[in-house]
Amino acid sequence: MSDVIWKIGYGHFLVLAAVLFLIGVAGVLVRRNALIMLMAVELMLNAANVTLLTFSRMWGDLSAHTFALIVIAVAAAEASVGLAIVVAVFRGRRNVEVDRLTTLRH
Amino acid sequence: MIRIHVVLAAAVAAALVILLGAPGAYADEPRERVCQPSVEAAVRAALPTATQVRCPVNASEYQIVNGHSELRKDAGMTAEVVLSDGRIATLELAIDDAVRANAARPTGTDQARPTVRSISYAHDDLSGSSGKVMALLFWAFAVISVVGALFVISRRNLIAAVMGMVGSFLGIAAIYMMLYAQFLAVIQMLVYAGAIMVLFVFVVMILNRPEDEPVAPSGRAGQVIGGLAILYLVGRLIIMLTHVEPANPEIAMNAPRPPPAQCIEWQKSDSGALTCTQSETPDWGSIKAVGADLFGPGLFPFEAISILLLLAVVGAIAIARPLREDADGGAGADAHPGGGAV
Repeated sequence: MSDVIWKIGYGHFLVLAAVLFLIGVAGVLVRRNALIMLMAVELMLNAANVTLLTFSRMWGDLSAHTFALIVIAVAAAEASVGLAIVVAVFRGRRNVEVDRLTTLRH
Repeated sequence: MIRIHVVLAAAVAAALVILLGAPGAYADEPRERVCQPSVEAAVRAALPTATQVRCPVNASEYQIVNGHSELRKDAGMTAEVVLSDGRIATLELAIDDAVRANAARPTGTDQARPTVRSISYAHDDLSGSSGKVMALLFWAFAVISVVGALFVISRRNLIAAVMGMVGSFLGIAAIYMMLYAQFLAVIQMLVYAGAIMVLFVFVVMILNRPEDEPVAPSGRAGQVIGGLAILYLVGRLIIMLTHVEPANPEIAMNAPRPPPAQCIEWQKSDSGALTCTQSETPDWGSIKAVGADLFGPGLFPFEAISILLLLAVVGAIAIARPLREDADGGAGADAHPGGGAV
């Protein structure tokens, strides 16, 4: 047991990434506020990045850094467009709870 | 409305120009090539336990001449070898004129073999485990990032959730640093803890209302099913993590270590043996190293990202701008039925 605490290996980083990803999934599934769901998606993207960089160091391959950089840029684009949609929705309906956005249902 | 179409058309035109111009020097180069028989023979002579020999194209073999990349005359060659015990060895081979002349000779005849300059093993630098200070730091930052993430999905106050997200991202940036990704750690702090945080805080200020009920009240049955699903997910994760058997346990249990020193200058003694006179530790994960990869093999995704960001900017403006010229951002849906309800 003390080995698990005092000897940090690649497995620890991977487990941390898995836990963060799981928290993100739980946030997207459980919360109703579109803003919180966006933040949870950002968390999931970050967890994926941690996994990428862990394997990158494990195999000594630098190209995962390029890919992680691209993931960060995609996350930034996603956040800006997602927040713009949130603002537009709020302007029209005065709330951003996804359960109440049912105009397209019928 | 006509102006946004002009902007969109300009964006698409710029995207096409960049896309057509981007591939440039690197697009038609193969990343992998077939090993020449003489190279493979030399590698197998040096490492008898080799199972698989690959000859990846190394970016440093090329130089840019008049806008086109050409093979360097003085370049060596690298070969990657998977050994039967699971290690991966990287060999540097010196290519001299005798080896180059092989191409002119028919196959099957006696061919000159390149000389092996150095052999480095991919996982030799990873032996041993981390110290106690690193363990403490890892746990501290792991706890920060996980607690911040839990804050995001549990707080009713939106500002508290954003601050939890920032704390989580700072913890993740420190985790990047532990994985020797210094450049990405800094980028993470600038982009996430800086730009995206500001964006979220502004939107929270525009919305300015706490949630009535943060968790969907879909009845007792829905809550039970949701709870069971989350328990199942966590349980499967724990089972998977305890049962997984890495292909090479020694590597998987090792701690991230800085890369080993590489020889950059060789000296040939009278007997023909090569000795290393100068070595340096490669700057792994620094701006220079990441930039060399980004503007080499990663050039196309890099250019594609610039188009994506341009489109995101235009799209965000197109979506979020007020629908009427005189609207101040507070117009209701009934004021303009065409576009208010998104």
